[in-house]
Amino acid sequence: MSMKRLAMLATAIAGGLAMATPALAQAQNTLTIVREVDSDRYDPHRSTARAASEVLFMLADTLVSLDHDMTSIKPGLAESWTVSPDGKVYTFKLRSDVKFCDGKAMTADDVVYSLKRWIDPATRSPVRWRAGPVEDIIAKDATTVEYRLTAPFSELLYQLTQSFAVVIDKANVDALGADFGVRGFNGTGPYCWGEWRPRNDMRLRRHDAYRWGPPIYENRGPAHIQEIVWRIVPEENTRLAAVLTGQSQATQYVPYSGMAQIRANRNLRIVDNPAAFWTYFIGFKVDKAGVDDPAVRRAMVMAVDQEAISRDINFGETEPAYSYIHQTATDWNKAVDSRLIRTNVAEANRILDEAGWVRGADGFRSKNGVRLSPLAYGFTGSTWQKLMETVQGDLRKIGVDLRIQLFDATVAWGKLATQEFDMFGMSFPYITAGDALNLYFRSTNAPTPNRMNWKDSDTDRLLQTGMTAVSDADRAAAYGQVLQQVHDAAVWIPLYHEPMKVAATSRLAPFKAHNIYGCGFYKGLDLRFTR
Amino acid sequence: MGVHLLHRAALSIPVLFGVLLLGFMLLQLVPGDVAQVIAGPQATPEVIEQIRKDLGLDRSRVIQFFIYISRVAQGDLGYSMINNTPVIQELGEAIGPTFELMLGSLIFSVPIGIALGTIAAVNRGRALDRIIIAIAVFGVSMPVFFIGLMLIMYVGYHWELLPFLGRAGPLWTLDGLAHAALPSLTLGLIFIGPVARMTRTAALEVMNADYVRTARAKGLAEHTVIIRHVLRNALIPVVTLIGLQAGYLLGGAVVTETIFSWPGVGRLAVGAILARDLPLAQGSILILAVSFIVINLFVDVLYGFLDPRVGKR
Repeated sequence: MSMKRLAMLATAIAGGLAMATPALAQAQNTLTIVREVDSDRYDPHRSTARAASEVLFMLADTLVSLDHDMTSIKPGLAESWTVSPDGKVYTFKLRSDVKFCDGKAMTADDVVYSLKRWIDPATRSPVRWRAGPVEDIIAKDATTVEYRLTAPFSELLYQLTQSFAVVIDKANVDALGADFGVRGFNGTGPYCWGEWRPRNDMRLRRHDAYRWGPPIYENRGPAHIQEIVWRIVPEENTRLAAVLTGQSQATQYVPYSGMAQIRANRNLRIVDNPAAFWTYFIGFKVDKAGVDDPAVRRAMVMAVDQEAISRDINFGETEPAYSYIHQTATDWNKAVDSRLIRTNVAEANRILDEAGWVRGADGFRSKNGVRLSPLAYGFTGSTWQKLMETVQGDLRKIGVDLRIQLFDATVAWGKLATQEFDMFGMSFPYITAGDALNLYFRSTNAPTPNRMNWKDSDTDRLLQTGMTAVSDADRAAAYGQVLQQVHDAAVWIPLYHEPMKVAATSRLAPFKAHNIYGCGFYKGLDLRFTR
Repeated sequence: MGVHLLHRAALSIPVLFGVLLLGFMLLQLVPGDVAQVIAGPQATPEVIEQIRKDLGLDRSRVIQFFIYISRVAQGDLGYSMINNTPVIQELGEAIGPTFELMLGSLIFSVPIGIALGTIAAVNRGRALDRIIIAIAVFGVSMPVFFIGLMLIMYVGYHWELLPFLGRAGPLWTLDGLAHAALPSLTLGLIFIGPVARMTRTAALEVMNADYVRTARAKGLAEHTVIIRHVLRNALIPVVTLIGLQAGYLLGGAVVTETIFSWPGVGRLAVGAILARDLPLAQGSILILAVSFIVINLFVDVLYGFLDPRVGKR
């Protein structure tokens, strides 16, 4: 074969393959969303991963929904609800037009079954506590559910917006057994279970009968998009390239380094939700030598340059954090604003000098034989490696020798339940102050998730007061005091609040990004291709 | 020939046992707790312990290994700890795409490698020879992930010639072929170098053989001498190399499949190991090892065809 013929053949093959590329372009009205990891399963009571919630919000509905502002509770499957004066009985009036994907009507019995399965010890749900101190859940009639508590639980409505509280179909759970949420899922959501290929993709098809979307959406149903494909792409640069080339039309999992590229591309845009309710921090074990000194903790918080972290590591895409929760979160105490610790290396050095921590020949401080060289545990991966190293550099400026040990996520959770370390890196989603504080600062939650060993009777009392408050003002007052207490004690080094940023093709009509449990698309009802 | 094959097949049994034992032991050494992974970070110790008991992880490792071996002997690889699907089913779905990648990469890399090696041998010591060797060294030295990302950046993104996200169907469909092109190219590029170098070395040895001199003396055209006499005999070590390198292709597939989101065994294995999904991880290791053994057996058969003396020995 001559060289000329060879060249012609090569050109023909390349041309043929390239012509196939448009065919790769998504089938009309299919939205491909790329993301980093898959869930282990899609059982709402056994899956705590964000990856599970992203899909479950689309497959199923909750009694109440959360507005895009992340603070307002709106109707969901319940069109209205009342709370008894003692705050112990919530009565939900359900919509009568709700149907599961298989066409069966949803009734109060389904709601009761779902919520009881969540709290049933046999389910072994890791997030059972989120349902509150349940006495009983009763179906009063086909459209009325009574949620009885042994004590008031002011967080209840917020917790009922989460994916753990979605309504499922008992017959479906019984039929699938251990394969529930693996081989199928019959929900009432705007999308129905299509096909799941673990670690590859999850296909959801539109629930055509859906008309009961939450009022936070202009479109109450059915969804505009016919099919949603959640595709797993572990490599972040591949995800970025996928969005840039239109092989994925939307994702919230673009590396910060690629955001500028997306903004510069006229076929793409960033849709953001400034309610940054996912916070990164480094916590102290407050009873370990060295960091048990409040002056040391305060100085260390002051030495960290949060501004530089957001600017240099996260390319300006995150919000520097000085507070433990975002200052727009429900029940944030505005009085704490002026007490937040800001970066000031000179002042940090002065505090340590005054507290008697003296620099040695190596430049690191010690006092009474205790050297300031705390050990910090964190997660492997570029995010925590960069964060820890940056903080390590900042702390050197005040004579603190931070030692770092990072673990794979599958190991880290176990290691973080021990008492081996002095500091730890963590990030978490939340909706309200109470959501975050009750999880992290209750004495009974030590050693995990209260990894700080923060054991304070005042905190416990105030948290209990906040949790059982029957008025918003009482709840805010109690949680506000806890916020002030823990901020003053410098228990964490807040690093940054992560806002929701969804990269999307401009072919999608304008839509709002959500941020519930870190899920940008929530129910996806307003997603629509314009061309 | 048959005896030779039977002998080789019999040798594979202890190798397989070794693979099972090593795979089991290695996974036991990997830190991490599958019960913790399944339960999630907010689970109480009681919940984690109950899950551990349910999965049989509270038994001794020896017992766990013998249960595993007896199940494997019956063709039962167990169920995924994470999503409760039969391991054999997961592997069955993933092995095809991995072989597609291997096939795709071999289809273009072997002819190119042999052609480059032959050209280099024929032009020994000249500039063309040096250029080809430099290309081969470059190809061998490039990490798979680098080649993959470069191809995505240029071919996929800047020039928008080919897709790079996952698999779209079997190789014989246009869409499937287009999706397989870049990952196959990535995997194949690292393969060209070794094939070219081995072909060159083998060809140079054969070119000085008496029968080649005789062929030339008979007045045969140079290209006939090269193709019919030199290349055919030089191919024996090349085929061996291809068999051995196919194992490395399986290894390379782990990275390539991750970069291109290709739903093959490599990616399955990585996901299973990261999730501490022991049955799935063990199954993936087993299937990769079996593939390696089968490929080597196949190479032995091919060897017999290329060199009839092998079967007679």
